[in-house]
Amino acid sequence: METGKIGAGKHLTRIITKAYMDLHERAANGAFVVWIAINVPAEIFLGFENVVYGVPESHAAMNAAKGVGVTQCVKAEQLGYSMDLCSYARIDIGCVSDHGKDSPSFGLPKPDLIVSNNNNCSLLTKWFDVHHRQMGVPHFLIDVPFCYQPQKEKDREYIVRQFKDLIRVIEEMSGQKFHMDRFCQAVDYSIQGVALWKKFLEFADHKPSGITAFDSFVHMAPFLILRGVPAFEEHYRLLVEETEQRIADCVFPVPEEKYRLFWDNIAPWHQLRKMSSRLAELNANIVGATYTSCIGTKEGSFDLFPFDGTDPMHFLARTQNAYICPHGLELRKQAMAGVVRKLKIDGIIFACNRSCKPYSITQMDQQKHFFNQEGIPTVMIEVDHADARKYNEENSFLRIEALLEAIDAKRAA
Amino acid sequence: MTSIITNLLKLRETRKKIVGCLPLYPPMEIFHSMGLVPITLWGLRDMIRSLDESDRHLQNYSCSVARRAAEFILSESGSMLDGIFAYNACDTLRNLPEILSNGLQDAGRPLPLFQIHIPMAPRSQTDAGDYFRNEIFSLIRRLEETFHISFSIDRFQDSVTKYNEVRNLYRRMENLAASGKMAFQDFMVAFRDSGFLAVEDQIRFLSGEVSRFLKKDPKQVKHPVMISGILPPPLPVIQAIGAAGLRIVCNDIASLGRFYGYSPDLNSSVEQYYVDFYENHIPCPTLLYSADNRLGYLLSLLHDTSAEGVIFVGEKFCEYEYFEFPYMEKRLKEEGIPSVLIEIAVDDEDNIAAMKNRIDAFAEAVGQNEGR
Ligand code: SF4
Ligand code: SF4
Repeated sequence: METGKIGAGKHLTRIITKAYMDLHERAANGAFVVWIAINVPAEIFLGFENVVYGVPESHAAMNAAKGVGVTQCVKAEQLGYSMDLCSYARIDIGCVSDHGKDSPSFGLPKPDLIVSNNNNCSLLTKWFDVHHRQMGVPHFLIDVPFCYQPQKEKDREYIVRQFKDLIRVIEEMSGQKFHMDRFCQAVDYSIQGVALWKKFLEFADHKPSGITAFDSFVHMAPFLILRGVPAFEEHYRLLVEETEQRIADCVFPVPEEKYRLFWDNIAPWHQLRKMSSRLAELNANIVGATYTSCIGTKEGSFDLFPFDGTDPMHFLARTQNAYICPHGLELRKQAMAGVVRKLKIDGIIFACNRSCKPYSITQMDQQKHFFNQEGIPTVMIEVDHADARKYNEENSFLRIEALLEAIDAKRAA
Repeated sequence: MTSIITNLLKLRETRKKIVGCLPLYPPMEIFHSMGLVPITLWGLRDMIRSLDESDRHLQNYSCSVARRAAEFILSESGSMLDGIFAYNACDTLRNLPEILSNGLQDAGRPLPLFQIHIPMAPRSQTDAGDYFRNEIFSLIRRLEETFHISFSIDRFQDSVTKYNEVRNLYRRMENLAASGKMAFQDFMVAFRDSGFLAVEDQIRFLSGEVSRFLKKDPKQVKHPVMISGILPPPLPVIQAIGAAGLRIVCNDIASLGRFYGYSPDLNSSVEQYYVDFYENHIPCPTLLYSADNRLGYLLSLLHDTSAEGVIFVGEKFCEYEYFEFPYMEKRLKEEGIPSVLIEIAVDDEDNIAAMKNRIDAFAEAVGQNEGR
């Protein structure tokens, strides 16, 4: 796509809008449609001539960010789905219940195949089962063993076998052939884009930081729905160039940056603007987040995990445990400690998220660890990533302000 | 509750190593055959009253099963354990073993953690047989190394026979309860009292109970119903079910029917035994690959037992179960079978009255449905 001289923000809107339009259009013209969990390797679908994919989690995040998260949740609750269930799932089930009404992208086109996995969470397989039963669409489940230590070869082989089974199933169902060269090309675009993403995150090293985590949350979208295509790599190139220039021009999101904070959990989609500006007023900047740092890595470290150029299928399998939730407490601590030191973080906000137990369940222990062992002030706030009803701004900011005071006290000591 | 503590003390006296197994369906026979005593950490409702230790590690929006298991392990009672076993069940349980290990480490009593991954990919989709066999062999190797013990197939088959006997006895008790010779609450009391017993003692105890109730006269059948969920409801709720004119004739409860419902071929090799055990297990939301078989199983169970309605016992915060309730309720309705959902949580004692009201209303719906 021609990027011209527009800013990365506008470019993002343009490519995301186009991605959803293309998805609907190609589906209407007979493409084989797959719904996938966010970290199912999308590059596999690009190995086919006419297979397109939609990502319900990302679509749910967009609904939440555009302010219709609660509207969609309520629809699911009226169908009997408990308010205790993950808000992404409720948004998606609500949205499907009336064929995409209220969705900024008019929902997703009806799938021919649903592909879930249990690496971020196992409940997602149950959520996708809801559609599988209701729509009568086959459900392919990629089983990714959870890991307490670095991923083992036996688990990697098992994952690869399932990727190959997935390819076979799509070939059988769609009548299309999988092309290894197309797949390798897609992996290549993804790798280049991800390397640029990591470069973008590194602008947080600068003092004051060149970015906020809120920027990175927003610019994650291509990683979720546009991997494996030239626009993916182009977008992150533009983002890197633009941010580089801003730093050169001394344009910083929080120029008087006094507190460098770190965020642990999914982005609070319904609060991005409000939270970032209110923090900026306090000269505080959330400069990094586990949620965005894990992209392009492997479990236990937030450093870029480079492709050695050998087997792309193995490479994709190797990164399946990277996304925080698919690995245990010790690996989480290890990766987070590294980035917290690198970014010279003053304080950590643990966003306790009832919707996402897999992300939140280790947080009490992590909080203790970072406070007791690493000496970093921390705070726990309650925020649901997509259901704005489960967030109280005043309570949260009272706690955040207490965190800033604790940072001051530590400095004064 | 005293029975559980008595049983635990008795277990300790055996001086055998005790392995606490996180729910739901651990390979008990392996542990037993190697001279260890496996105990599954469910049914702790009556024993665990405070959650102080658990609350230091787990949020209050974790389910009561996980919180009570954590409390058991992290508090004084956990000091009787010599190891923890866990396999991949839900999102809470996959994180729990490491949280517990860390907590125990901090408390100065670290325990070895044994873990296997049960393949969740549907068998029709991916053949994970070799992978799983390897998991079983690795577990055996780790147990051998850790406890300096050895595995023998003869002892394994002896253990299989014993655990099979226990499952049979539970099935027989369920039938006694269905026929009215035994009240369901008596079945639950026996089930509770058999917890944390060595398998040999379990057989003795359960056989005695079966013989005792066999002699009783069957009581008149009221409206037969099924209960479904992770754990049975608390005893006062079971009493309320009976008082409302309903009789529980079958169950789809993880700690009951799903647990004792299926026994593989007794003479299999260890790896084949567990391939069969998990593959043909009674469908359970925690065994992801069994999802498509669940509704059919429930309908056939309802049909076979002539149950007229279903009481879903929701374990609060258990996503696995809660994602399925709306679909199950809808499909049952289409079949003309009434159902109701009651929710149990850590503080369920406070809500008994509300649960009773729901059960009364449900009993009316079942009564009105009669003859349709
Ligand atoms: S529970 Fe968490 S990981 Fe799972 S779908 Fe929801 S937000 Fe994602
Ligand atoms: S009740 Fe549900 S959430 Fe709780 S441990 Fe069992 S499967 Fe997990």
